[in-house]
Amino acid sequence: MTKTVLLCTRLGILLGLFTLWQLIVVTGLADVRTLPLPSTILVRIVEMLGDKEVLYNLWITVAQVSLAFIIVVPIGIVAGLFLGESKYWGEVFKPFFYFMTSVPKSVFLPLFILALGTGFSQKVVFGIFQAIFVLVICAIAATETVPNEYLKMARSYGATRRQLYAEIYLPAMLPILLEGLRLGMIFNITGVLFAEMYASRAGLGHLVAMWGMRFEMVNLFAGIAIASILAILINETLRHYENKLSRWR
Amino acid sequence: MKQNTSLNALPTTNSASLTVEHITQKFHTTSGEIHAIDDVSFSIADGKFIGIVGPSGCGKSSLLLMMAGLLKPTIGRVLIGSIPVVAPIPEEIGVVFQESSLLPWKTARENVEFPLKLRGVSQLEREKVAIDMLTLVGLQDFIHRYPHELSGGMKQRVSVARGFCQDSRVLLMDEPFAALDEQTRMTLGDELLALWEKNKKTVVFVTHSLTEAVYLCDEVLVMGPRPGRVLHRLVIDLPRPRSFKVMATERFGQLRNEIWDLIRIGADS
Repeated sequence: MTKTVLLCTRLGILLGLFTLWQLIVVTGLADVRTLPLPSTILVRIVEMLGDKEVLYNLWITVAQVSLAFIIVVPIGIVAGLFLGESKYWGEVFKPFFYFMTSVPKSVFLPLFILALGTGFSQKVVFGIFQAIFVLVICAIAATETVPNEYLKMARSYGATRRQLYAEIYLPAMLPILLEGLRLGMIFNITGVLFAEMYASRAGLGHLVAMWGMRFEMVNLFAGIAIASILAILINETLRHYENKLSRWR
Repeated sequence: MKQNTSLNALPTTNSASLTVEHITQKFHTTSGEIHAIDDVSFSIADGKFIGIVGPSGCGKSSLLLMMAGLLKPTIGRVLIGSIPVVAPIPEEIGVVFQESSLLPWKTARENVEFPLKLRGVSQLEREKVAIDMLTLVGLQDFIHRYPHELSGGMKQRVSVARGFCQDSRVLLMDEPFAALDEQTRMTLGDELLALWEKNKKTVVFVTHSLTEAVYLCDEVLVMGPRPGRVLHRLVIDLPRPRSFKVMATERFGQLRNEIWDLIRIGADS
């Protein structure tokens, strides 16, 4: 089973599904008003990517997601590393973070709207709120993965404190930290899009929710496709770096 | 306990490269104080291959950590030459750990040169030393492999090469071959002896295996548990250089039995 064969099979399955979809609509088994043709949707996606209004909203979403990520990553990682390293504060705070990961963060959204309104900053803060828990937990886990043997070995060869961090702690923790970044990003995108769909005047989530309510099926499908592509692109980019930096695993 | 008295009288000759003076170790745990090591003293002459054997919990690994400057004894001290060891002195004391201490994100070469990198040796020089050392342990074709791409024996060879690359006077080995199968263990033992015959470092070798201890060492310190103490210092009067044939001799069997008896009696007392 080579890579190309696998890829061809997957593409074949996708193509088959879309062909089936196209056939169901063309033969009249499904109403074209509720289920538009894949070809129509594809054309609409291309049109949208040249549409000023769509691009503006897409840009708002990307900006919110990026800003939330830039803010949450250092905070989450530093907090996680601190809690992982400090015996006392780690014991105190860990349960809060573990419990919070099981709570669906979406139920807090109304509180965020009441406190911060429905603008840009509210989306950013909600994205941060969604991402921070998984990031902190991954950073705590990362500190627990540094084997004592490595530290003992490096110390016996005279490693200074700085060398221990650069040569042992950082590389040992990197794979799990990167995994945390990727998971955090997924939660962050989920948070921002959800907040946009719930109450907003701009953003990709706002457009998708609006198209849905107005029963604009072609736009709705195209919007969903664009949101999916955006999320996949971001995720795969992060995964690429994750793999590149943990080749040794 | 007749043997112990002679041990406490410390020889103060200049040829002693490593001296352990009245080391006592106590731990405080939630269930009270644990007396781990009780007044252990010995000295090792330059260029000797010394083994430390004893049951689990007799403090032999702790003792090695103290010699490496990684653990502070409650009472007593370790000297290298006339310098007290209070922190690791990598130029004087090298350590070989088990294979699991290899850094998985570094290649064989990068692992071997790691101690030199910590000391700020230039990239070019340490690369040369590392490749020489890896060639010496027969891994010249695996220089750029990561640990997960190597077998258990190969990994331990890398670990030995890492310990030797520092060119320190003393080499401490903490059960280096414990995780290996019998055959690999024997082969590596032979390779270690060959390396040692060449540069005559002072070696302190902690092991569980009595066969290994008798085969490799000039002298064996037999330790007893609770609290850890030296029961006896046994001279292994087998001729060198040794080959596996020595294991079939009567003397080898006698020495091995003698250690076993000491451990058994020590555990009962």
